[in-house]
Amino acid sequence: MTRLIWLASYPKSGNTWFRLLAANLSAEDEPVDINKIGERGGIASARDEFEFHTLLDSGLLTHDEADSLRPRVYQTMALEDDGEDLRLVKAHDAYLTSASGEPLLGGALGADRAILIVRDPRDVAPSLANHRKIGLDAAIALMADPGACFAASPRAQTPQLRQRLLDWSGHAASWLGQTDLPVHLVRYEDLQAAPLATFTAAMAFAGRQVLAADAERAVAFARFDRLQAQEREQGFIEWRPGGASTLFFRRGQTEAWRSELTAEQVQRIESAHGPMMRRLGYALSREEGVQRAV
Amino acid sequence: MTIPAGRQGTAGLQLYRYRIAGLTVSSDVEIPGLHADAGDAAADVTIALGPVPERLDDPAAAGPNWAMAPGAFLLQVPGIARFWLTGGAAIAYQPELEAASGDIAAFLTGTTFGILLHQRGLVVLHASGVAVNGQAVLFMGPSGAGKSTLATALAQRGYPLVTDDFCVLGADGAGRPLVHPDGRLPKLWAQAIRHLDLADRQGPAVRGRLSKFYVEPPQAAASPAPLPCGPVYALQEARGPIRPGIERPNIVDAALLLRKNAYRARLIKQMGQEELYFRLAAAVGNAGGVFQLTRELDFAAMPQTIDALERHWVGIGELVGAA
Repeated sequence: MTRLIWLASYPKSGNTWFRLLAANLSAEDEPVDINKIGERGGIASARDEFEFHTLLDSGLLTHDEADSLRPRVYQTMALEDDGEDLRLVKAHDAYLTSASGEPLLGGALGADRAILIVRDPRDVAPSLANHRKIGLDAAIALMADPGACFAASPRAQTPQLRQRLLDWSGHAASWLGQTDLPVHLVRYEDLQAAPLATFTAAMAFAGRQVLAADAERAVAFARFDRLQAQEREQGFIEWRPGGASTLFFRRGQTEAWRSELTAEQVQRIESAHGPMMRRLGYALSREEGVQRAV
Repeated sequence: MTIPAGRQGTAGLQLYRYRIAGLTVSSDVEIPGLHADAGDAAADVTIALGPVPERLDDPAAAGPNWAMAPGAFLLQVPGIARFWLTGGAAIAYQPELEAASGDIAAFLTGTTFGILLHQRGLVVLHASGVAVNGQAVLFMGPSGAGKSTLATALAQRGYPLVTDDFCVLGADGAGRPLVHPDGRLPKLWAQAIRHLDLADRQGPAVRGRLSKFYVEPPQAAASPAPLPCGPVYALQEARGPIRPGIERPNIVDAALLLRKNAYRARLIKQMGQEELYFRLAAAVGNAGGVFQLTRELDFAAMPQTIDALERHWVGIGELVGAA
C-alpha cells in the first residue's frame, strides 16, 4: 500500500523545495521540470481531490462543512494504492480538529506520519510578503495572527479549501504537540547547510532508503539557482507573479533577514515568537549580541 | 427569475414540476433556477421527502460520504441531508436537523441529480454551455474552473444559455451528439457578478450561507428542443508555462479530457460507463471537436477570451451564416 506522508509546513518554509528534491530522486539525465511535479493533487487542501472523493461541489459547502468531511477524505486517500511506496502530500494547515472534534487531517488513519519543515520566521516574513504581494509589516502581522487562514474569502470560490494556519508559533506547536502521528522535524536551514544528510534522514523517516548517489544528484538538480533559472525561463505553474513580486524562487537564503528587516521588525517577530524560536534553535538577535545598523 | 409552477399533490402537498436535461421532474421541494414544466403526464423522476436508509450493507463501491449498489445510491451531505437514489427514477431525501430547504434544493439539482443521470446510463459532462448558430458549445472543467462565468459572459454577448454546471449528451438517429438545453440559471459568486456588472440580474442566494447567487441570464435561454453538439472546450488557466490559446488535442488526449470531465468522474468506472465516454469522444470528434481553451482567470481578460472564441468559431466554420 502507498504510505501517505504529510509534508507539513507554515507557508514559505521550504515545502516546495523539499518536494522538488523528492521529485528529482527519479530524475536521471536532467532536472525535473518544476512545472511537472503536480501540486494540485498533492496538497491536502486541493479541491479536486476533495470533490473526486466526496462527489460534492465544494463551492456549495461552507468552509466548516468542508472541514467536517475532510478527515474522511484523507482516510479514504490513505487506503489508496497508486503503485508507489509513498506519497508526500503538502499541507499548510495547522494540526487542528474539525468542529466535531476529529483531527482535520484524519489523525492516525489519515496518514502514516508527518515531516514538519520549519524556517526561521525572520526569513519567512519577507518571503511571505513577496508571495502574498503584501508589505513586510502585513506579513509580520499575519504571522502573529492566531486566526490567520489561506483561501478563506467568502466572496469568491478560492482555488483551494480553507487552510487555518494559526500564528507562526502556533502552527509549529500544533504539529509538534499532536500525538496521532510520528513527526520528523526538518529545519530549512539544515536542509541548506547539510542537504544530503538532512534530506536522506527525512526520506528514511518517510520509509524510503535513498542511495547516496541519487540523493546527491537530486540535491544538485534542485539547487536554488537552477530552480530559479527554470522559473525565469518558463514561469512557475504554482503561482502568479504580480506587482513587485516577480519570482516564486526569490532568494532561497538563510539569514537574508539581516538585510531585509529593520531592527524594529526583527524585534516584533522575536517578541511574538521567542519561545518557539528558541525551541527550534533560532537564536534571538539580542541574545547573539549582534549589533546591527537599521 | 423562473417561477416554478406549483400545484396540489394528492397528499395536499404542493408539488412542483420541472424539466432537467430532457427529463420531467416532480418535486415536493421548490428548486430555484430551473425551467418549469407544464405537462400532466407522469414524471420521469420523482423527488420527495422520504425514508432514507442509514447505511448500505455490502456496497459495490463507497466513498467518505456515499455508497452504491446496483440501482441504489446513498449520498450524505453533512448538516444538510441524506439522499437515496433508486432506479434512476426516484430521489428521496431526509433533511438533517439544521438544514434549510434552500440548502437541500442546492444539492438536489447538482450532485444528486447528476448521479441519478448516471444511474440512468446517460452521458453527463461537467460543463456549461451556450448556443452558437443553433449548436451547443460546451465548456468543461472542475468546480471553480470558470464555466458559469464564461457562459454568462457569452450570454451578455447575445449567445443563449443552454446549460449550467452539467450537461447530458444524447445522440440523434445517425449517432451525432445532441445536447438537451434545460434552462438552469447560472450560479455566480458575488465577485463574478460585480465584475460582469450583473447586479441588476442577481437572484436569490444559492444557499443562505454563501455569497453565490442565481443570475437571470442577460439573453433569453435556448428553447428546450435538443441542439446538435458543436465544439467542446476543456477550460484551463494560463499559468507559468501554459499560455493562453485554443488547441486541439490528439484523439487519445481528447478522449481522456472528456472522460476526466465526466460529471462526478469517480463514478464512471464504478458504473461501468467508460465505454460510453470513449464513444462520446469519437462522436464529438466527428462533430464540433474537442479543444483545450487556456486563458487568464482574471476578469479583465474575459473580453480577449470571448474574442478568441469568436475567431475560433469563424475559423472552424461554426459561425458561418451568423450575423
